[in-house]
Amino acid sequence: MTNATDIAIKITGMNKYYGAFHALKNINLEVKKGERVVVCGPSGSGKSTMIRCINRLEEHQDGTIVVMGTELNDNLDNIDEIRREAGMVFQHFNLFPHLTVLENCTLAPMLVRKESRKDAEATAMEFLEKVKIPHQAEKYPGQLSGGQQQRVAIARALCMKPDIMLFDEPTSALDPEMISEVLDVIVSLAEDGMTMICVTHEMGFARNVANRVIFMDEGEVVEQNSPSEFFDNPQNERTKEFLSQILGH
Amino acid sequence: MSAEVSFGRKVRRDFFATPLDSVITLAFSALLIYLLYGVLSWGIFNAIWGGDSADVCRADGAKHGACWTVINVRWRLILFGLYPYEEQWRSAIACMVILVTAVLSCIPYFWTGKRLALTWISGFAAFYLLMKGGILGLPLVVERDWGGLSLTVFIFSSVAMIGMPMSIVIALMRRSKLPLIARPTAFLIDVTRSLPLLSIMFTAAVVIPFVLPQWLQGDKLYRIIIGFAIFFAAYQAEIIRGGFQAVPSGQEEASAALGLNYWQNLWYIMLPQVFRAALPPTINQFVITFKETSLVVLIGFFEVLASGAAAFGTAEWKFAYKEVYVFVGLIFFVFVLSLSRYGAYLERRLSVEQR
Ligand SMILES: Nc1ncnc2c1ncn2[C@@H]1O[C@H](COP(=O)(O)OP(=O)(O)OP(=O)(O)O)[C@@H](O)[C@H]1O
Ligand SMILES: [Mg+2]
Repeated sequence: MTNATDIAIKITGMNKYYGAFHALKNINLEVKKGERVVVCGPSGSGKSTMIRCINRLEEHQDGTIVVMGTELNDNLDNIDEIRREAGMVFQHFNLFPHLTVLENCTLAPMLVRKESRKDAEATAMEFLEKVKIPHQAEKYPGQLSGGQQQRVAIARALCMKPDIMLFDEPTSALDPEMISEVLDVIVSLAEDGMTMICVTHEMGFARNVANRVIFMDEGEVVEQNSPSEFFDNPQNERTKEFLSQILGH
Repeated sequence: MSAEVSFGRKVRRDFFATPLDSVITLAFSALLIYLLYGVLSWGIFNAIWGGDSADVCRADGAKHGACWTVINVRWRLILFGLYPYEEQWRSAIACMVILVTAVLSCIPYFWTGKRLALTWISGFAAFYLLMKGGILGLPLVVERDWGGLSLTVFIFSSVAMIGMPMSIVIALMRRSKLPLIARPTAFLIDVTRSLPLLSIMFTAAVVIPFVLPQWLQGDKLYRIIIGFAIFFAAYQAEIIRGGFQAVPSGQEEASAALGLNYWQNLWYIMLPQVFRAALPPTINQFVITFKETSLVVLIGFFEVLASGAAAFGTAEWKFAYKEVYVFVGLIFFVFVLSLSRYGAYLERRLSVEQR
């Protein structure tokens, strides 16, 4: 049995509605510190909604979500606390176009973590180094390729020194030749022991990097298993169908 | 292909492609040359430049073009209105102060909340001290006697300075998620926009004194400026709301995910992008507002157009109204042109950043 302090995220009996539409149905999920979870499933199955509930970009209606020991409720301090602990990377990067790459990375640490500009810039350069674009620090996002922008977005999230990283289809807006440069960065984060939940359809990545793969359909977690079991021996019919669609042909 | 086309070929292609094209081109060129010749011969070739009285222009055998003598003789009235003659240097400096303040705040170095606020507060304070006087040995000149270009520039920049923050607040209220705030705001915007500016100015000048206690009224000039600013803000708020809609929703999500709070998100993420998106219509709004300042003449203020009218309002200069209007027109032209050139510069600069 795991010790409570080993748990990064614990979701219990969570439901989410958009008006009358039941988007997430009784989600139960536990992610241990250092664990790497890949979430997959057909379009509209609620993958984005689920990870967006974890940092309160979407509000859940019942059940509990506990992130690094802090419960997500209407207490604004808790929300702030959780947003500091969980970094997020979006499908469309969402870099701030009016700020340079460096400013994108230093803004939140200075405003939210109250770091001095000097410290924030030092940290930012360190992470830009890690994602291999230190030379673009003075450029604006619009001057970078998609792959470079996504790596900046990862660096920007890392600058807040989060314990958990949430990725929502980080490579699906990228041209094929840029996908690996972004995945490489995520793999290197995994090697450092970062806790992460990654929504992706990159099955090679899931197989090699994940500790666990979760399959969602119609707002439910249908199946979860270790990558080898999940891919080689799927249990549920819907999982089999999904896998044959995306791996097959 | 077009890059290699020679000038001659290009002209032939664009203007003389068919016989009809050729006829139209020739006809319009002739008209253009005729008009241009008329303007130049009136304004320059046959114009009278010097002299200190209308007699120079009315003498037998005098050239029959423009009589710029009127500007020579009356320019101080046009630029300073009824401001006392010996004190007009104050009005000139005050006008410069506001212009310098405006130019400074166009420079990116001043684009922080603190620097902008400081520049404009000191600019307005200096303007007010110089214009009004009453201390430091400067004789008192009440607002009623302010006039000419300084008044125009003062009204315009006050309206912009008060109206701009007001429009941001209104736009935010209009966007509020609480219907109790958003709905009434929308209603008030619509009401204000449906009123003619003139009626708002009359209300501010004439009606307010019956409604507010004496000590709250302030001078008529300031009431008009506030009314004008509210009118400006109603329009500008809608422009800003459009700017908000142009910012992708991912921006707000990214800043929330990084832990920025409402105000930080607004100040550092949203507003800079909102103003970029709203820049062209905002410049347009400034241009319109600058020209609308001339409406204050109807409430009894001598802004530059009105003091121009006074300049040919004597028996001696009655005939020289064209010259005065051209001169005042040029002043407006210079201001509006600088505004729109500056807007174009900003757009270019920002598009480099954003691409
Ligand atoms: N703001 C919203 N309002 C109403 N319905 C929404 C909203 N956002 C998402 N939904 C619905 O919730 C369901 C789950 O959406 P979600 O974006 O989580 O799917 P997803 O699994 O991430 O899909 P994709 O792979 O296409 O990104 C979908 O049916 C979607 O239409
Ligand atoms: Mg999604």
